[in-house]
Amino acid sequence: MKAVYALLFGLCLGGVYALLYYLNHKTPLPKGCENIKAECDGCKITSCDLHPTHNIKEKEND
Amino acid sequence: MNLVSMFIAAVLINNIVLSKFLGMCPFLGVSKKMSSALGMGVAVIFVIFGASVISYGLYYLILEPLGLQYMQLITFILVIASFVQFVEMFIKKFSPALYKSLGVYLPLITTNCAVLYVAQQNISSGYNFIETCINSIAVPTGFLLVLVIFAAVRERLESSDIPECFKGNPIALICAAIMALAFSAFAGLV
Repeated sequence: MKAVYALLFGLCLGGVYALLYYLNHKTPLPKGCENIKAECDGCKITSCDLHPTHNIKEKEND
Repeated sequence: MNLVSMFIAAVLINNIVLSKFLGMCPFLGVSKKMSSALGMGVAVIFVIFGASVISYGLYYLILEPLGLQYMQLITFILVIASFVQFVEMFIKKFSPALYKSLGVYLPLITTNCAVLYVAQQNISSGYNFIETCINSIAVPTGFLLVLVIFAAVRERLESSDIPECFKGNPIALICAAIMALAFSAFAGLV
């Protein structure tokens, strides 16, 4: 029974996260905030969205 | 434990950055400008407090009664991630000005290990609800304090004559080490 509770609880939490993620991405950005970027120097974690290499790639694509 | 001494201890003596070395990514990455440091610090206070209180409630109302304590870690991670999404959405919708200053740092907070540390510490230390609230405000306040001091130091470093090989992160890390030494002098204060 404990395993069922654990599964249900995990699914609920995952569902809440998925719902909030969806709603957050559906919410339009306020005016003037379309191109704001963090002033982060960047560490070695290149997978982070705020890493400066992402900005370079975006510029190259443009 | 006296709540005031608990607050002082969390801010100065057991500072999360300088004594536990947690939250180093934003400490080094977002400390070049005072305005960014302030924005990040305020956002961290808000998220740590909210996520810790929710995690505390979930642990004592659901996980413990059902005997699911082993799910503590995954629960806290999901609570933090969900809370950050909610806060970002709320700020986007109701306070564009606040989103302009804080919004960009909110996703970064999800990966800040300091948030998870506070949620875990509240449970492992056996704090009651009031102590949880005080600790959840004190720890990020210590983070904000150190971040703002470090930003002020780095702003002055920009206009200082530093040897080429020390410019950037090397001198920042040396300053952080000196700050950690200075903060260690607070040991024994309470």
